[in-house]
Amino acid sequence: MSALSVAKRDFLNVRRAKLVWIPALLYALFMLIFYWGQSSRPEPDFYMVLWSLAGIGGALVIPLVAIVAAYLSIAGERESGSIRYQLSLPVSRSDVVVGKLLARTGVVVASLLIAFAIGIVAAQVLVPDMTLEYDGYAAFVALTLLYALAYVAVAVAISAATASRSRAMSGAIGFFFVFNLGWNFLPVSPVQMARFVFEELGVDYSDSLLDLIFSLSPTGAYLNGMKLVFPDDFTALQATTAGSNPFYIQGWFMLVILAGWIVVPLLLGAWQFRRTDLG
Amino acid sequence: MAAIETTSLTKRYGDSVLAVDDLDLTVEEGEIFGFLGPNGAGKSTTINMLLDFVRPTDGSATVLGYDAQDETGEIRERIGVLPEGATLYERLTAREHVEWVADTKGVDTDVDALLERVGILEDADRTAGGFSKGMRQRLGLGMALVGDPELLLLDEPSSGLDPTGIQDMRELLRAEADSGTTVFFSSHILSEVEAVCDRVGIMNEGQLVALDSIENLRDESTGAATIDVELAEAVDPDALDVGSIEGVQRVSADGDTVTAVCDEPAVKVDIVRHIDERAIVTDILSTDTSLEELFNQYTGAESADEGSVAPEAEQREQEVSA
Repeated sequence: MSALSVAKRDFLNVRRAKLVWIPALLYALFMLIFYWGQSSRPEPDFYMVLWSLAGIGGALVIPLVAIVAAYLSIAGERESGSIRYQLSLPVSRSDVVVGKLLARTGVVVASLLIAFAIGIVAAQVLVPDMTLEYDGYAAFVALTLLYALAYVAVAVAISAATASRSRAMSGAIGFFFVFNLGWNFLPVSPVQMARFVFEELGVDYSDSLLDLIFSLSPTGAYLNGMKLVFPDDFTALQATTAGSNPFYIQGWFMLVILAGWIVVPLLLGAWQFRRTDLG
Repeated sequence: MAAIETTSLTKRYGDSVLAVDDLDLTVEEGEIFGFLGPNGAGKSTTINMLLDFVRPTDGSATVLGYDAQDETGEIRERIGVLPEGATLYERLTAREHVEWVADTKGVDTDVDALLERVGILEDADRTAGGFSKGMRQRLGLGMALVGDPELLLLDEPSSGLDPTGIQDMRELLRAEADSGTTVFFSSHILSEVEAVCDRVGIMNEGQLVALDSIENLRDESTGAATIDVELAEAVDPDALDVGSIEGVQRVSADGDTVTAVCDEPAVKVDIVRHIDERAIVTDILSTDTSLEELFNQYTGAESADEGSVAPEAEQREQEVSA
């Protein structure tokens, strides 16, 4: 109950900050561009829109939406001292972490749902010939919200573990660079390093193992989780959707990895926040 | 049961900074207790330990009989707090702040009546971002009063308030104390607390250097009154024999000026009369050691009358730490 009172007050406060709504508008803007791109094709394909959206959202916009909404949630209050008003009331420090997670998740979910609603309307208007796959769209929205939630959890956790705005910001940006760009997009990624090491040592390795390494970051799990959204005959994904693959690179396991990215950082952040001095 | 009790409470930052040093302090139920000391004396650190914002290196504390580290929930349900220098939520209105506190504490409260009481009812629906320092302080005080707490813990409540605000706050604290609430508040300015406190504790460099009622402190300070008597020409102080007057603690002479320290102000009249019979008095300079000066001596601040009461201050310090 105490966590809910924290969440209620925090939601009331943060929803009035214009900045938290801007990244979601950027997301909506990308949707418009992708729908517009399909409108000039002879056979517009709804899944191509989702595929582009998964790429740009996974690599950039969704982390941006979540980090902007959550990185100051606790560290900002510590720096301004308003956390002392909060903690003078009958709430524990864990209540604060959970309450912040709920409130910032609320903001992120609300802003993304608005963006997705805009997307539906835009599709009807810009590409009337295209068939909307509502099942696929619902699965895509659900997976994207889960991915956003993982980033909110990480940002709240970093915020709980740091004492100032600047450190919370460097922490969040650092995480983004290491576990997003570095892990999944740069040529010197853990997948490349693992392949190099295996080959140097002459160890046998499978592509499945490398695929797992790729999927261990939130972004990797989100992109490979797209197996759950797209039909099996979607060309861009075909190579990895074979039913004979080991469980740890199946679509459902990507949900497990994302859940891990929600739970583990939060536990660490809350643990650090509970033991620290709020001088 | 004591409202606040600390036992050997100690807070060390790193190896070099001892913010609070072995503090034993008891605040009784129903009293208004002023917690004094210059900035950096350890007042806020002590309060932060009572609120579990900061964990003690050693020792323990109870608030309303509950352990300050292990039973924070019980404590926070029963106290009202005005934290020092804390920012309000810029985008929430005064009304929303009070409603939030009431909601979290699980109490019903008449928001309008409360805001009226702290004098910001007309600004109830403005967001706190546009408030002046004084208005923020008033709102903070109002939030502390939600749910009629058993204990009010106020860290520098008068900071940012104008004289009217300070007067209003004093009246409010007195009314709270009359209704049985214990009030514990800190300040670095003595004159702000002497009008309202039953007892004061003075902190300096992490230690409690004085703990007494305002009356006793005042008695002590007036007891050490000093008088300078200027004479037409230098006279041998022994011949004047001022030391024989009852109530005179010590006498010194510097050229044509005789300085005497006496137990109480009335003795100064005897001294002047005594000297007047034996020499030509040209001027008299009487200085009561004010409460302010005593405070300065306890806390090592600059004093206009250094030396005259220092021995007593030292003695007192021993009594406190004993």
